[in-house]
This record gives sequence, structure tokens and C-alpha cells, in this order.
Amino acid sequence: MSKVLTETFLTALVAGGLLAGVPLLLAALGESISERAGVLNIGLEGMMLLGGYVGFSGALYSGFTWVGFAAGIGAGMFVAVFMAVLCVRLGLDQIVVGIALTLAAEGLTSLLHGAILTERPRLGAVELVTIPGLSGIPVLGRSVFSQHLVVYLTLGLVIFTWWLFRSTNAGLNLRAAGDKPSALDAAGVSVVATRTWAVLATGALGGLGGAYLAIVGAGTFEPFMTNGAGFIAIVIAMLARARPFWVVVGALLIGMSLQLQTALQVASIDVPIDVVNMLPFLAVIVVLLLFGRRAYLPAALGLPYVRGSR
Amino acid sequence: MRRTLLGPIARAGALLALVGLLGLAAACGGDDETAPATTETPAATTEEAPATTEEAPATTEEAPATTEEPAAPAITVMGVVAPEKANDYGWNQQGVEGAQTAADSIGAELLVADGAGYEDVTPILNQLADDGVQFIIAQASGYNTAAPEFAQATGIPVITYDKPDNTTPGLVADISTSSQQGAYLAGILAAKMSKTGTLGIVESADDTNWHKQAGGFVAGARSVNPDVKVILTQIGQAGYADAAGGKRVTESVIAGGADVVFGMGDGSSFGMLQAVETATPPEGADTVWFIDVIGDKSSIDEKGVLLSSVLWDFTQIFEQALADIAAGTFGNQGYDLNVSNGLSLLQTDHIPADVWAEIETAAAGIADGSIEIPLTPALDDVNALIGG
Repeated sequence: MSKVLTETFLTALVAGGLLAGVPLLLAALGESISERAGVLNIGLEGMMLLGGYVGFSGALYSGFTWVGFAAGIGAGMFVAVFMAVLCVRLGLDQIVVGIALTLAAEGLTSLLHGAILTERPRLGAVELVTIPGLSGIPVLGRSVFSQHLVVYLTLGLVIFTWWLFRSTNAGLNLRAAGDKPSALDAAGVSVVATRTWAVLATGALGGLGGAYLAIVGAGTFEPFMTNGAGFIAIVIAMLARARPFWVVVGALLIGMSLQLQTALQVASIDVPIDVVNMLPFLAVIVVLLLFGRRAYLPAALGLPYVRGSR
Repeated sequence: MRRTLLGPIARAGALLALVGLLGLAAACGGDDETAPATTETPAATTEEAPATTEEAPATTEEAPATTEEPAAPAITVMGVVAPEKANDYGWNQQGVEGAQTAADSIGAELLVADGAGYEDVTPILNQLADDGVQFIIAQASGYNTAAPEFAQATGIPVITYDKPDNTTPGLVADISTSSQQGAYLAGILAAKMSKTGTLGIVESADDTNWHKQAGGFVAGARSVNPDVKVILTQIGQAGYADAAGGKRVTESVIAGGADVVFGMGDGSSFGMLQAVETATPPEGADTVWFIDVIGDKSSIDEKGVLLSSVLWDFTQIFEQALADIAAGTFGNQGYDLNVSNGLSLLQTDHIPADVWAEIETAAAGIADGSIEIPLTPALDDVNALIGG
């Protein structure tokens, strides 16, 4: 136990957990918006992957990481446009379209990676923003308060989304689009437009998450590098019941589960790796068992809206 | 001469994109489902492969004599199949470049099928056969089932990895690696350069060769500094291409006090390199160094943190294989990559002359057998060595 409570172990756990958790947080936050509006965005993995590829390429060729992040957002929104047109406008099956978009993004990025990034380019070190004073706090200081600016902006986005859901008409419209779209329609607000904006916002955040993973998290792009993060983000969003602060908790929990193995190894604690590797998935199962039945899902989630049908 | 076949990954990508589009079309019906794609991660070796040639003796004695066989016709076209693109500054690039040099040495044409993935490569091998190859290097231990079957079916000789039992006269010759030898030299270098007295090892996967190298590294480091502390980490069961995992784990190792990181990764080593470049040196050190494996990443080392690399150069073995084919003795015995025929340590400007001299002395000791290096084919073996 004494080894577990060392500064080395805790620093490794928190720092690595944040690095792994931020892309999940961004994607899950986006999924929360989409799900609240009634669109189950299974294509999130594809949005992250294309965001990662385009974001990395943007940063590489422009020389500016912020261009990369902007490109990643654009790429995520590009995939989201297909989702919006096919599912929101045309009313096709959201699950089938989402899976198809993910597969297409996986194929496309692998193809482009093999064809264009032939010299295996990579980005150099990224600049971190250290908050004076706070970064000196033991354990949490260096781990939490010396991060890329995107991490702080992400926390700002969490607060913004919470405020959006809670205190704005747009938030009410999103909720109505997911729970009772006919009521929203009757109130004179376009369900299609509301859902479209929600899906585009999901694409933007998913793309940013992918770009963060490639630019900051790895410094390079590898085919399939999201490794299912988009699907884990969907689970986080569902369990958080579209509550942004619970999304933060879920993302960091999964991130730290991923990092626990490393932290234990760094602290020279001998635990079978196979057991530790199960932890992220075990965490999801435990949370599902504990909270799954109470999970709130919008009544019209996954259903296309057709005026007059209900 | 070198021709490149359409990379199977590219073809797979195009296929996936097509499947995606078909899925979209299926969505119009609303009932169909499209199965998610599965991904494979690259593997340098198989776990079941014996660690060294000491454990897996050459098959010369067991193999039936082949002197009755007529010598094969001169090789004019040969092929190499690699699981990933040959631009990884590692396993795949070293294999293809070694094959190219060997082909050039006899004036043969080389057909390259890189990015072949880890699925059944029999169709790719057959395509190479249709293109007229007379000899194929199957550059992955994951091919050591399909490639021998292909050789039996077609009579075209192949090279496989890490399965000495495959060696068959006239058809299959297997390459094993004494990778711990090169890592021993890296361990000496790391211990000499470390100021914190803490070294980090990052393995991307549960891989026999990675474990052997980790053990060799520890033994080498302890040979010059018995008190050196070693932090051993593993990204995952098969995190070869997990660059994000490589960065995350390496940052943690540095946070644990390591100022020299020995990284074994394939694609994940790019993340390790970025972590070293970004890292704040631990207390007591002013620099964090990275030691790579298999290939040479000097050309992409913009920050000057690459201290060295354990190079795996297969050229001599491939040339020997070609000579054996010409002599009709191919497959009478397997090959072993070691410090005498291709394993070496990359010399960079960061290595002081006196340290390099010590490394050269150790390399000579390994070659003449005066230095014995412990074998650690499993992770538990490495942990026991570190703990002991």
C-alpha cells in the first residue's frame, strides 16, 4: 500500500489519466449534445479518426498546431454532415449509417496514410501552459496544471455545455428535440435544424478529440489509432445522462483505468498485466450494473422525426 | 531494381471505404447491419517462438541431405512481404532495405509487397509467384504458417522468423534473433549516460524479443553499475502501433525518475520519442535520452534526444540465404541474427569516445563468448532479473 501512495505513482496516474481522458471527454461531451437532441451518433469513432488524420496533417503542413485543431474540427463536422443529411434530413437508420461512416473513415484514413504520409512524419514537442502557483502543488500540480491549452478550453466547454443545457432556450430546444420533437415542432422550432446543429456540434467536438489525440497525445497519426475511443465515449455519454460534469467524471475514470497499469509498473508493484488491462472495461461494466437501469435516455433517441407521424 | 505492389493496406482501405458506402446504401433499407472492422496490430515476433538459437538448435543434423538435389537456377527476381509499410524506421524498413541490398548484390529484381497486414498472406504470396519470384522473404513471424505452406505448394523457397521448426531443406529457412546481445550494449551505454541512476524500459507488447532485449539491457546496465534502478513498463498486450500509449507510458517512466528510456515499439516508438522530447528532465538530470531498437531514427530526431539504437540489419543473412540457394543448401539450417552478422549499436555524436570504446570491448566479448547474457523470453523473467 505504501508504494501506491507515493508521489511517483499518483503523478503517473493523474498525468497519464488526463492525457488518455481528454479525447474521451471531448468526444463524450459532443455525444451528449447529439443524444440530448435525439440522435444516437454511432459515427463518433469515424469523426474522431478523420479529425485525427486531418488535424495531424493540418498541423504538419502548416507548422501550427492550432491550424491542425481547426482542421480536425472541420473534418469531424464533414463526417457529421453525412450523418445529418442521411439520418436527420432523410430519416435513415442512425445505427447503420453511424457504423458505415466509421468504417468509411477507417478505410479512408488508412488509405490516405499509406498514400500520402509515406515518410512517417511526426510533430515535435507541443507547448504546454503552466499555471503559476498551482503547478507547484505536489502530485496534482505538475499533472493537472501543466497542460496544453486545449485541455483548459475543454474544461471551459464543459461549463459552457452545462450552462447551455440548463439556462438557455437552445438547451430547451435540444431537450425537446430528443424527448418530444412533435412539441418542439408545434412550438414553431425546426426539429430538423435543431438536430442538425446538434450533430454538427458532435462532429466538431469529436474531430477536436481526434486531433488532440494525434497532435498532443501521440505527435503522429497511425491508422485505427482511436482504438474504439469513440464507442467508449458513447457509453460515457449515455451513463452520464447528458450531464456534462458526469461526462468529466466518466472520461477521467476510464482514462485513469487505462493508465493504472503503467502507474503500478512505475511504482514497481507487481500486478498481472492481464488483470490490469481489464480495468477500463471492468469499470464500464460496473458502472453499467450500478447505474445502467437509472440511465436517462431521451424518448425519441434514435428515431427519425416525421411531422405528423406522432 | 524495385517495384512496389499496391500496398494491401491501401487495398484494404479502399475495400473498407467501399463497405462503408455499401453500408450507407443498406441504411436506406433500414434493417441491415454492417459489421465493424477489426484491427490488427503489427507484431515483430510470435510468443511461442523460442528465444534463441541456443534453445532452438539449427536443423542441420536433422535435415535430410540435399546434395542430391540439383542447385537452383540463379535468382533473378525475389520478393519480400512485410506487414506494415516499409517506412517505419524499424522492422519493416530494415527487412525491405536488407532485401534490396541483397538483391542488388546479385543483380536481381526485388518485388516489395509491404503493408500486407497480419491476415492470411497466401494470396499475396501467390501474386508474387505469378510475377515470377524465385525466393520470398516473409518479413513477419505472423507469416510462419502461411509461408511454409506456400513453399511446399509451389516449391519457391521462403524465409520465416522465430520458428526454427519451420526449417525445411530446399524450401524454408528460419531466422532467429539473439536480440539480447545488442540490448546488452545499450544497457552499458544507458548506465554510463544516466545521471539519476534510474533507467526506463518501455515495451509496446508482450513480445519475446522485447523481453529478451529488456533482459539484455538490464544485464548490460548492471555490468557497469550494479545499483542502477530499472523501471519496466509495457503499453499493452499488442500495442505495437499505439503511439498515444507510447507517449503516455514514457511520460510516466520519466516522471518516475528515468533519464534514459529504452523503447521497443514499432509505431508506438514515435510517441515515445515525442514524450522524451517534451519531458522535463527528472531531478538530478539535465537531459532525457532515448534509445530505440531495430532501425535508425536519426533523420527525424529534431531535438537531438536519440542517444542510440539497437540496429537489426538482415542484409548479411539474406545474402547468405541467396548463396545457400545457389549452392543448393538452402534450408539445411536456420540463421541467427547476432552481433557477428547484423546486430549492432548505432553510434551517435552524443556518445563519448570512452563510453563507445567500452561498448566495442563488450561487443567483442559477446562475439567471442566471454560475456554471457541471461535469456529472458518472458516478462516474468525480466521482472525476476530486475528484482534479483
